[in-house]
Amino acid sequence: MMSLDVEKTAAPAPLGKPVAVVTPGLLSDLARFGATDVSACFSCGTCTAVCPLVDNDATFPRRIIRYGQLGLRDELLSSKELWTCYHCGLCTESCPQSADPAQYMAAARRYAIAGYDRTRLARTLYTHPVVGAGVATVLAGVFALFLYAFHGERSTTSFQLFRFIPEGVVHWTGVAVMVLVALAALSGIVTMVAGIARKEGVAWRDVWGRVGRGHGWSAVWSAGAVESLGQRRYREDCAEAQTDREPLYRRRWFIHAMTMWGFTGLLLATMSDYALSVVGLRRTGTPEPIWYPVRLLGTVAGVMLVYGVTLMLVNRLGHLNRASRESAASDWLFLTLLWVVAVSGFLVELSLYVGTAPAWGYWIFLFHVSVALDLLVLLPFMKFAHALYRPVALFFHSLASQSTRVTTDA
Amino acid sequence: MTTDHEPSDSTTVAGESGEPRRRIGVYVCHCGGNISDYVDVAAVRDAVAGDAEVVHVETTLFACSDATQNDMIEMIESQHLDGLVVASCSPKLHVPTFRAVSRRAGLNPFEYTQVNIREQCSWVHSDDRAGATAKAIGLVRAGIAKTAHSVPLEPITVETTPSALVVGAGVAGMRAATGLADLGLRVYLIERAATLGGWVDRWGPMYPNGADGHQLIERLREQVATRDAITVVTNAELVAKSGNFGNYDVDVRVMSDPPTTQRFRVGSIVVATGFDTYQPEVGEYGYGIDGVVTLAEFKELVDATPGPLRVGGRPVRTVTYIYCVGSRQPDGHQYCSRYCCAATVHASITVADHDADVAQYHLYRDIRTYGKLELLYQESRRRGSVYMKFPDDTPPAVRRDDAGHLVVRTTDTLTEGMAVDIPTDLVVLVTGMVPRENHDLTSLLKLPVGGDGFYNEIHPKLRPVETVVDGVLIAGTCQGPKNSFESVASGLAAVAQSGATLLKGVAELDPLVVNVDQDRCTWCGACQEVCPYGAIDRIVCDGREVATVNALSCKGCGGCAAFCANEAIELLGSTTAQIESMIDGMLEGSARDEELMV
Repeated sequence: MMSLDVEKTAAPAPLGKPVAVVTPGLLSDLARFGATDVSACFSCGTCTAVCPLVDNDATFPRRIIRYGQLGLRDELLSSKELWTCYHCGLCTESCPQSADPAQYMAAARRYAIAGYDRTRLARTLYTHPVVGAGVATVLAGVFALFLYAFHGERSTTSFQLFRFIPEGVVHWTGVAVMVLVALAALSGIVTMVAGIARKEGVAWRDVWGRVGRGHGWSAVWSAGAVESLGQRRYREDCAEAQTDREPLYRRRWFIHAMTMWGFTGLLLATMSDYALSVVGLRRTGTPEPIWYPVRLLGTVAGVMLVYGVTLMLVNRLGHLNRASRESAASDWLFLTLLWVVAVSGFLVELSLYVGTAPAWGYWIFLFHVSVALDLLVLLPFMKFAHALYRPVALFFHSLASQSTRVTTDA
Repeated sequence: MTTDHEPSDSTTVAGESGEPRRRIGVYVCHCGGNISDYVDVAAVRDAVAGDAEVVHVETTLFACSDATQNDMIEMIESQHLDGLVVASCSPKLHVPTFRAVSRRAGLNPFEYTQVNIREQCSWVHSDDRAGATAKAIGLVRAGIAKTAHSVPLEPITVETTPSALVVGAGVAGMRAATGLADLGLRVYLIERAATLGGWVDRWGPMYPNGADGHQLIERLREQVATRDAITVVTNAELVAKSGNFGNYDVDVRVMSDPPTTQRFRVGSIVVATGFDTYQPEVGEYGYGIDGVVTLAEFKELVDATPGPLRVGGRPVRTVTYIYCVGSRQPDGHQYCSRYCCAATVHASITVADHDADVAQYHLYRDIRTYGKLELLYQESRRRGSVYMKFPDDTPPAVRRDDAGHLVVRTTDTLTEGMAVDIPTDLVVLVTGMVPRENHDLTSLLKLPVGGDGFYNEIHPKLRPVETVVDGVLIAGTCQGPKNSFESVASGLAAVAQSGATLLKGVAELDPLVVNVDQDRCTWCGACQEVCPYGAIDRIVCDGREVATVNALSCKGCGGCAAFCANEAIELLGSTTAQIESMIDGMLEGSARDEELMV
């Protein structure tokens, strides 16, 4: 007997929609990035229902988990929702299957960082933590040896850092590293933008040109200033997800803001320092009083960074909140490098101001610069890459909510 | 036990003018409010209270309650009633109840008449209380009139043959055969194929616990072989059946060269003829394309492959299952085949056992791994099987793409109806069960066939393996889709049901059969022609040809009585006198009540 609609089954079925193609084994690949419990998910959607960050323009984690289960790799990598999640852990707490959606989302972000990277370095760092730690260590050692190869005398009368390692060497090594990082970052961002724009149906004219420009700038403002620097949704939407209304100085968004603002401040201070020396106003490494603006900025930013990273480490060590219940090797690698750079930077500053030039100061300086270069060069290949990709996703999220508003108003 | 609020106004008429011909008790039931909401039961009571032959009449909240049953018994005994009329629900529901009440009170059960004033009055005339009441009065009068002409009847007893025929030696038939033999009955197990075993014999590991089908059958074959009481006949078909309930003569033709026929006498027949698998049309979900197989074909492939699956010499990396092929189709087989979900899920676990890296996509409409089988579903998900529900109106499509790769396109309900292409190495169409073509057997045994093509039981809950043909039982998948343990359970139910009649050695049949008044009969043959059961024979009695009835074959339909020109045939329990008096009673009532009602 003929079954239902043979013509229909023979037709090139559902037309009018782009057809996604499955990649078998995606879920087990995601497991290598840390999504170890998600296979228990039966798509009930409780996670999506409780998530404080879900809105009409971004629904997750259920849909994103589904992509992983089915093997829809392109859909997964083209999902801005990976980056609109701030890992509060509410979904994991309410999951009836103990599938740990928050863990999955974190793993999917790692997978995306590796997916946007064409070198496979990110994949290696994530999936082989020991190798990853080795790479980071060896790389720092290589930088140290390279810099030391140019070393001069270590003055004991006054602290002359650039007589030890010539400024030009530090500078041009830094520039070379930054160019490499910029290329890698650009490549990743282009891949990501192309994917999300296709999936979201965003064309160039939607963000540029007479009509689109307004939307485009508005989205840049929202993504860059309001959300990234201002942490609005992290502050407000995640507020209800904070455990026991922690005091401000312990809240996750505050700790994160301290870290991010501190890092940005140090970046600005370093740039200003270099700018001053380029225009010949001041030689880098010259001692200044604490109120000197650039030094003040650097010191305050450094304190913020050390505070933020230290609390993050403490939270993770003590499993003090839902988000830090579990830590992957990649979390430790990023935080450790950041903490080492921040603290060693302070020690360099300390050695600069203790009066006489301590011998250890030179070694700390070499150590600090090497690890900082290490951190920088690995940026696009590790957790640090979220600093590149989150703003892009937030840009698209802002565009989507603008168009929803337009549609609703019309 | 009588409660205070139970309305039980009664009128007992005794020893008035002259002795009444009959002493009949009448009970008019409220059925809670089922009847009394739409029928004035008190008016019904009052309308018949004056009848000369009605000694006692009362209304009762529930005639079937234990309390009322006990009251009836007391009343029958104390008032020496010789007839009982219960006006309540359908005879299908409570005839056995009140026959038992009569028997307990020492009244012949066939002196009791059931009158249906619920289905035939209150339920169908809920908009017309007066009409419903008038109709109820007429029906009760008819019931009283019929009872006034009733005579005591005794059940027909028949000695039974302690043996059974089992048709079909699959897992259900074989297990039934050993069960019957263990009850001490002689068993004839006949099988159309050359060997015993059926479908299960062809299968390897089966759900729920991976027991090997072939080995299970091997064990059953041994058990059959070691029981002397079982006679096995293979290459055999049932070709004729004669005789009556409890004593059937069956002819079994053996397809030997030359064919031979054996005759057995059996008390019951267990039909366990099994199922066929659904065979998709070419083009149905890509059937016919290389790499697209049915569940049965897939099961054979998995059973025959000890390691990783290979198709056409290439390793299978991805398997895609499409469920409900040929089952639950609005225009085809509408039923669920019941076993296929679990069989497929179990096979997918076996595949994962052999090769953990195989990707398995299950495209389903609903997954029905019911009961304990849910654990199998969970297990398969743990092993990485992906389940994708497709909408009923957008079934998956199977094709070979331009590069020659097998691709299934489906719509995943749980991913917002997204269309998804699955490049795959093997497509399994999860096909179900269809009824086996058994036209000759069906017409030989007069087996009732349902709309789905499977054999029908009398009652799905209370008489699950009996058919309307006395002594013919059904077991296994000839009744409908079942898995192997359900098949075995129904086979054993047929064993119990056979044993219940055959082990006593005698069976009791309803005496409501026809009776031929041979003085009146002139043998025209009309009765024999209309009898669907072959119960009427011609005999010569005192030199005249007359009809005689085999009471064991007669089902009491009364067809012959209606055709008899000489009124020589009476249907016991519904004699001509009874029917005529019922009509009179009903007419008289309606004429009188119309006057009363106006």
